[in-house]
Amino acid sequence: MSDTEPQTDFDPIEPNTGREFEPVDVFPATEEFDLRPGADSCFKCSACDTSCPVAEVDDDFPGPKFQGPEQWRLKRREGHEIDDSVMSCSNCMRCDDACPSGVPLSQMHNTARGEYVEEQMSKTSVEYWRNRVLSNYRTSAFLASKVPRLANVTMNFGPARWLMEKTMGVTAEREFPAFASTTFREWWAERGGADESRRRARAHRERRGLDRDADKRVAYFHGCYSNYNTTEVGKAMVRVYERYGYEVVAPEQKCSGTPMFANGMLADARRHAEVNVSSMADLVEQGYDAIASCTSCSMALRQEYPELFDIDGIETVAANTFESIEYLRIHEDLKADVREARVSGDLAREFAYHAPCHARNQGLERQSVELFGDLEGAGIEDVGDSCSGISGTYGWKEEKYETSMAIGEEMFDHMAAADGEVGMTECPTCAMQMEHGTGYEIRHPLELLEEALVENPRSEP
Amino acid sequence: MGSPPHIAVIGGGSTGAGIARDLSMRGLDVTLVEQGNLTHGTTGRMHGLLHSGGRYAVSDRASARECIEENRVLREIATHCVEMTGGLFVKRPEDDEEYFQEKLRGCRTCGIPAEVVSGAEARAMEPHLAKDVEKAISVPDGAVDPFRLVVANAASAIEHGARIETHSTVRDVLIEEDEVIGLEVEHASGAGERVHGKEGGREEIRADYVVNATGAWAGRIGEMAGVDIEVRPSKGVMTIMNVRQVDTVINRCRPKGDADIVVPHETTAILGTTDEEVEDPEEYPEERWEVDMMIETLSELVPMLEDARTIRSFWGVRPLYEPPEVGSTDPTDITRDYFLLDHAERDDLEGMTSIVGGKFTTYRMMGEEISDHVCSQFGIDAECHTAEIPLPGSEDFTVLRDYMDEFGLRSPIGRRSVERLGSRADEVLNTSDPNPTVCTCEGVTRAEIQDAIAGSGSDLNAVRIRTRASMGNCQGGFCCHRLAGELHGEYDESTARAAWDGLLEERWKGQRHALWGEQLSQAALNYALQATTQNRDRDPADGDPVDFSAFDGGVGADGGSGTAGVATDGGPRDGD
Repeated sequence: MSDTEPQTDFDPIEPNTGREFEPVDVFPATEEFDLRPGADSCFKCSACDTSCPVAEVDDDFPGPKFQGPEQWRLKRREGHEIDDSVMSCSNCMRCDDACPSGVPLSQMHNTARGEYVEEQMSKTSVEYWRNRVLSNYRTSAFLASKVPRLANVTMNFGPARWLMEKTMGVTAEREFPAFASTTFREWWAERGGADESRRRARAHRERRGLDRDADKRVAYFHGCYSNYNTTEVGKAMVRVYERYGYEVVAPEQKCSGTPMFANGMLADARRHAEVNVSSMADLVEQGYDAIASCTSCSMALRQEYPELFDIDGIETVAANTFESIEYLRIHEDLKADVREARVSGDLAREFAYHAPCHARNQGLERQSVELFGDLEGAGIEDVGDSCSGISGTYGWKEEKYETSMAIGEEMFDHMAAADGEVGMTECPTCAMQMEHGTGYEIRHPLELLEEALVENPRSEP
Repeated sequence: MGSPPHIAVIGGGSTGAGIARDLSMRGLDVTLVEQGNLTHGTTGRMHGLLHSGGRYAVSDRASARECIEENRVLREIATHCVEMTGGLFVKRPEDDEEYFQEKLRGCRTCGIPAEVVSGAEARAMEPHLAKDVEKAISVPDGAVDPFRLVVANAASAIEHGARIETHSTVRDVLIEEDEVIGLEVEHASGAGERVHGKEGGREEIRADYVVNATGAWAGRIGEMAGVDIEVRPSKGVMTIMNVRQVDTVINRCRPKGDADIVVPHETTAILGTTDEEVEDPEEYPEERWEVDMMIETLSELVPMLEDARTIRSFWGVRPLYEPPEVGSTDPTDITRDYFLLDHAERDDLEGMTSIVGGKFTTYRMMGEEISDHVCSQFGIDAECHTAEIPLPGSEDFTVLRDYMDEFGLRSPIGRRSVERLGSRADEVLNTSDPNPTVCTCEGVTRAEIQDAIAGSGSDLNAVRIRTRASMGNCQGGFCCHRLAGELHGEYDESTARAAWDGLLEERWKGQRHALWGEQLSQAALNYALQATTQNRDRDPADGDPVDFSAFDGGVGADGGSGTAGVATDGGPRDGD
């Protein structure tokens, strides 16, 4: 007997318990993660609130403690709505790090935001579609990459931007990033893909006196930005890794989901996550580690995926994902190699380094400063622990632009006070904000690493 | 017609407040006296279950029938106090099938709507039920807030002309020629507004009739009147969880036993309980093993309770009564029915009746019966309307309006406030003044606190039970001083300080039995905060009042720069 049979057959005295069907088949377990233990962990100390960059500049924002454990506890099963202020959270996730008691704040915020968008936000509103378009950056970037030159001109065409702000609520203050004429993946395929990478890795192993068939294999999660915009970062990753004898593969992948989490578009994020987890899980099974050069991508794979989705293999992928420099610092004597290197030319500069919030949450905020401190020919200075304020799509929203810039103020000041006039960060959108606030050119640490360690990197196409 | 008879009701629990409402609605002149706050005794120490009657469907069918009848009444007249959660009687593999069937038959016989649901269906309703729960009977159990219910009954009584005296202890029952003629009452020197200018003084309250509705304390009043009332107080422990592990009342379907119920209550869940006879309703041991045993046993039904955070535990005493000739030895065998003891018939003492036994769910019915009895003493033929007329706060209203926009409150805070205030929400929350959240755990705003202060005076524990402020997971760690601050203006510094002390003491009391795991961290933080920022660890003997004249008025207070000869670091202000 099952519950699909007519109710009239239901005999209350002889209920259909246990014997005739498997309960799990009839009522599948709820997909929602249980946040009760998380709410139990909060003892209200407010460390999260004091670390929140939005609360610092916006007195109307009630802060992460309210958005997370308080709201969760106050809101019961039926009929309780999520407060709309959850859309003012930028998902920087600093509160996770600030909490001394392990409250899964960002998980609570992501869950609440997802519920808010799903159940309370009008699907025909401009805000919904603006957020959807912004969070599906990959789709826009994919289209733009087909006609990169045209896109670069039109996307920053004044009247078009004015129209976008008025109709879509995308701020006209910012300049869209330039699209590369050749995407990273196009370059990668042209170069010979994984076969070529294996050949080069083997050559480098032999040069370094390593076993030619050493088990050094990584799957590169380049993310959207390295693919469509800053392809030089992706190329640098490949060259540096190959130099250390790693074979690189660039598996099928979609957006990490970071902008989707921040906009409460959990269904979109899940669709993309399923592709990413499926392709990464297969490789991890075979002994590959997953490497990301964007700290928000690695954050998503490591923390947000297992906190929000129940997908086969998700825990394994999360446990085997690393940020690109972090991984080399673990497995190679990167510091010694950098100490012996020197850079000249374009990258022989003083850098004003900003650690992205998502890097901070992974404990990576000091790695670039520690690494490049000894590099001859270049200098690096940490511009402090403030948030850049852009938080991905957040600072692109017309109504959030002022908040975003107010948060960034401290970083801009510190960058101006630093010796260098070139910025450095791991995060593509922090880079946009740094550039926007100071006019500096911004580079990725992998680019400097490549310059220091790889001979004649630009000798190949 | 002369003036209506004056009735003195002793006891400010659900029964007393229900009687006061009923009698005053029938036009009688009523004075209610209560030694503590409203709900101070047993009512404030119950698990908040609105019985469907299912619990008594096997052992005590008369009580079961009364329960389902009153359950239906309270859903209508007390909407803002009741949450219809539904309830389940859950059967584990080791529980007796015969008893399960008997329970089902009992429910049907007593007119309690009952359906059998499979284990899988039960888990679909309550995902945290144990995997091996076989099946369950669903019944219309609910959750009820005893504080709000009693406060609303008292408010209704006041609307009908009754006088409600809290913090007023009966010191003697006045008797002349074998007839009770009144009470001698001592008003506590508390700070409540209901002290009637007789702080610490005694008052003789003359009454045409006295109703003793003191539950477990009935024997004490009896003693003063020279009659013997053998109430058999039985203690039970209850533990409050930080969050709701279940949204349905979960009962264990087995004959009798300790630790067999989980009741979702507001933001929390309450575990209950034990049943052990005690000598004195005020002095009895509160022991840690009782709490441990309860969590362990209930984890068989809801495994996640094992590791979940408890925020406090409390003990209550049931006012059980049975006619002495029955002679039950085990308190679980004593009936939950109530008894009306007319001391004229029983002890040849005119002018007083005691009501003993019974339970919270049937408080209104008890009130009706004793009010009928009182009226018959005076030949008054007045109908009872307590079953039809909604309580203040439960008049027609909908919680579905957009209160957040209307009152400028954050969504869950606005919704919570409206659930607590019911139809009074407009009158309380419509304020043009700033309305910050004072208690963030329970989402209580200044407007609601001020309304409670207006209703109950400066006693912050009375404010607490009206609003739930300080009853959340920090147990007042972050809001007790704010609540005390809300007394400013109306009350002077020493009154506010005394009220603050009273609230803090009460909050710490219940936490003593939850000092492990997360609540221990909470307590440590609360202690540090209160000791280091509020000087709560001062020498209690050092009671000198603060010399406010030693402080300057602050920058701009008098148009000046706020110089009082010292800099902010305490050093002399001798230039920058």
